[in-house]
Amino acid sequence: MAYTTFNRQINDQMKEPMFFGNPVNVSRYDQQKYGIFEKLIEKQLSFFWRPEEVDVSKDRIDYQNLPDHEKHIFISNLKYQTLLDSVQGRSPNVAFLPIVSLPELETWIETWAFSETIHSRSYTHIVRNISAEPHKVFDDIMLNEKILERAEDVTRYYDDLIDGINLYQRCGEGTHSINGETHSISLYELKRRLYLCVMSVNVLEAIRFYVSFACSFAFAERELMEGNAKIIRLIARDEALHLTGTQHMLNIMAAGDDDADMAKIAKECEEEAYAIFRKAAEQEKDWAEYLFKDGSMIGLNKDILCQYVEYITNSRMQAIGMKAIFSTTQNPIPWINTWLVSDNVQVAPQEAEISSYLVGQIDNEVDGGDFGDFDL
Amino acid sequence: MPGVKLSNGVVINFDGSARTLLDALERKQLEVNFHCREGYCGACRCKLVSGEVSYINEPLAFVRKGEFLPCCSVPVTDIEIEIP
Ligand code: FES
Ligand SMILES: [Fe+2]
Ligand SMILES: [Fe+2]
Repeated sequence: MAYTTFNRQINDQMKEPMFFGNPVNVSRYDQQKYGIFEKLIEKQLSFFWRPEEVDVSKDRIDYQNLPDHEKHIFISNLKYQTLLDSVQGRSPNVAFLPIVSLPELETWIETWAFSETIHSRSYTHIVRNISAEPHKVFDDIMLNEKILERAEDVTRYYDDLIDGINLYQRCGEGTHSINGETHSISLYELKRRLYLCVMSVNVLEAIRFYVSFACSFAFAERELMEGNAKIIRLIARDEALHLTGTQHMLNIMAAGDDDADMAKIAKECEEEAYAIFRKAAEQEKDWAEYLFKDGSMIGLNKDILCQYVEYITNSRMQAIGMKAIFSTTQNPIPWINTWLVSDNVQVAPQEAEISSYLVGQIDNEVDGGDFGDFDL
Repeated sequence: MPGVKLSNGVVINFDGSARTLLDALERKQLEVNFHCREGYCGACRCKLVSGEVSYINEPLAFVRKGEFLPCCSVPVTDIEIEIP
């Protein structure tokens, strides 16, 4: 059961399940059990970006002119996102790689986690620019009650899984006495932890960023903090792909296609899955309250943001075959969608403007005269 | 020219002037959720009650049975859809 970095057992990878089959050996993509993961890798690579490409210099002046309560909104969101990406930049690798059995899925996990590290680096890029004392912003993350509360919930399922895998790979199934303490683990229990972990990551990718995204875009609608908004657009594009990845994983598990246990577990964990979604939505609503404790910002307030959380939670739940848990059916901030459109598609001329400033090397100081008699 | 029937009985003709079903629906001022408009996020998911659509680009988003993504598809036959 011990992990090996190159499994010598000759196996037919097309017959392996996603997880808990034989460990992977040859990284080959000539054959794929689930081609979707290879496609996600290609897409993620095509999205590659570097924070340094985005010019955030104008944000410094904008930030200095923000009233204190808006500074609080901006910087708190940045801290929360930093927490989320700190977790996501490492945890998929640590938790899933020791148990993965398909090379295309293994590489997707690595590609996914790598893109999260770009997000983390982009926060330093943003913070360095707006603050002369970036260390204060980052130091506070480890002290901020509101953020630590959330850290508990985004890491718990990862940590349970990782802990179980360590025990299982060292000692195998059964009850073991280690340093005078008794621990038990079964493969079925590990699979249960895996399912809940993927569900919890799915919720993280689906809901947890969106309060923050909405605030960033609300600033940018007022032509403030636009460098930040460019970066957030790139992050949001990546997150949408990550979400698609976890949705596919959950779907394959629930269908029991490659592991009948997983289908059974998906059913058994249904209630817990609802609870994970509900808890995350409640935490995000609390977060909105914390953000706006000293005052709202133009275009957004706590109630609108809470409705948006409910709306997006419902839609993410329905996407994986769950029932909506909130009565909200309308998106209270439909303007956010325009900010989330992929830059590869230009549906209308005005969108060209948005995509042209996605990468900072392109001059984003275009004044009205540049368009001449360009008719919109 | 395939017709697109909505749950309220309204029928829209897909006459080829719109690139995708999402564009066609938006031209009729219908509010459909979207993010990427490129088939990888799944935000635009709608129910396909009857008929057939084809995809301009193969979507990456997870699509459940009986659903489709209007942002990257066109109708092949008359279709009946439900917008959530
Ligand atoms: S808008 Fe993203 S899949 Fe249709
Ligand atoms: Fe991220
Ligand atoms: Fe992510």
